[in-house]
Amino acid sequence: MASIASARIKREFREVVTSDELTRCKIKLELLNDNFTELKGEIGGPPDTAYEGGTFQLEIKIPETYPFNPPKVRFLTKIWHPNISSVTGAICLDILKDQWAAAMTLRTVLLSLQALLATPEPDDPQDAVVANQYKSNNKIFLKTARHWTNVYAGSTSAAEPEFDSQVKKLVDMGFDSHKSRVALSSHLWNVEQAIESLYD
Amino acid sequence: MASYFDEHNCEPLGENERPNEQLLLARLLVDSGIANALNLSFEDLSSQNLSPPISKIWLKEEFPKYCFSESDKCGHKCPICLIAFEEEGQTRAVKIPNCGHIFHCDCILKWFEKTSSCPLCRFELPTDDPSYEEFKRQKKREKIRQQEIEDLHNSMFS
Repeated sequence: MASIASARIKREFREVVTSDELTRCKIKLELLNDNFTELKGEIGGPPDTAYEGGTFQLEIKIPETYPFNPPKVRFLTKIWHPNISSVTGAICLDILKDQWAAAMTLRTVLLSLQALLATPEPDDPQDAVVANQYKSNNKIFLKTARHWTNVYAGSTSAAEPEFDSQVKKLVDMGFDSHKSRVALSSHLWNVEQAIESLYD
Repeated sequence: MASYFDEHNCEPLGENERPNEQLLLARLLVDSGIANALNLSFEDLSSQNLSPPISKIWLKEEFPKYCFSESDKCGHKCPICLIAFEEEGQTRAVKIPNCGHIFHCDCILKWFEKTSSCPLCRFELPTDDPSYEEFKRQKKREKIRQQEIEDLHNSMFS
């Protein structure tokens, strides 16, 4: 790996782990290997959003050409958000694509992702189903996002118990619990439609 | 009598050169007001988001003028490599005209291979891409036009 990339990650890593500001914002960074090419990020869901109380894990891969090209980042924790794929965790954020600049750092990337959780951009979606729901049925979107935060990101606030019992209904029929949750979430928690989509 | 090209402030196409149809169409739509009616801006009609690599001529003729030896022990870091300017071995720095941001020469030259904008504030330096330069001019023209309309409106009430 080019020395500039690893040297820079080394410096950035030191900056992130020693920053009080980032601890306050519930942002963490962890090294996964010795040559600074793979890291694990963690961001806390922003307060007063559907993601509040949740902890979201991120996979970060540093390309050889870093910092001239952006790091590759995706969500490992499942999340219901218009700009994040509910299937793969892929992120649609301009600074991780063509709006990247060499002066940006892992710190700014993690802070931007936290900001993305607080302000979704439904007109530039990664997950069309979620974006559509965000725009046409915001109430259900918020409840669903909160439910996912509760189930996958470990928040303890309002659990939407009626969603749990609906998922259980499908699980009792023999469906996988995550697949059932996706089907219900995508069909505004209408059990019949969700079952139909699972049989397709 | 001025030639057609002088009169229209443009140059004849070179051999094997084709007109930039996308740009011409975008300009037609914007100038005729159709784009406005459809709620489209010039940016929406153009596919170029990121500025292309920096102009080679600019690098050769202008860039060295802004280079200097950084000896200032102010503790500033190059925003690209995050290494302090006074650290050994990396002392050639450049101050970008207009925005004044400072980088190591080696670092910024590598960035300029990709795009001509400042990594800190996106201030754009010249490129060698004629259609992108045209796009920039068009954006400027649009801004001036908007200002003129605003001035005209304001003048009516003063």
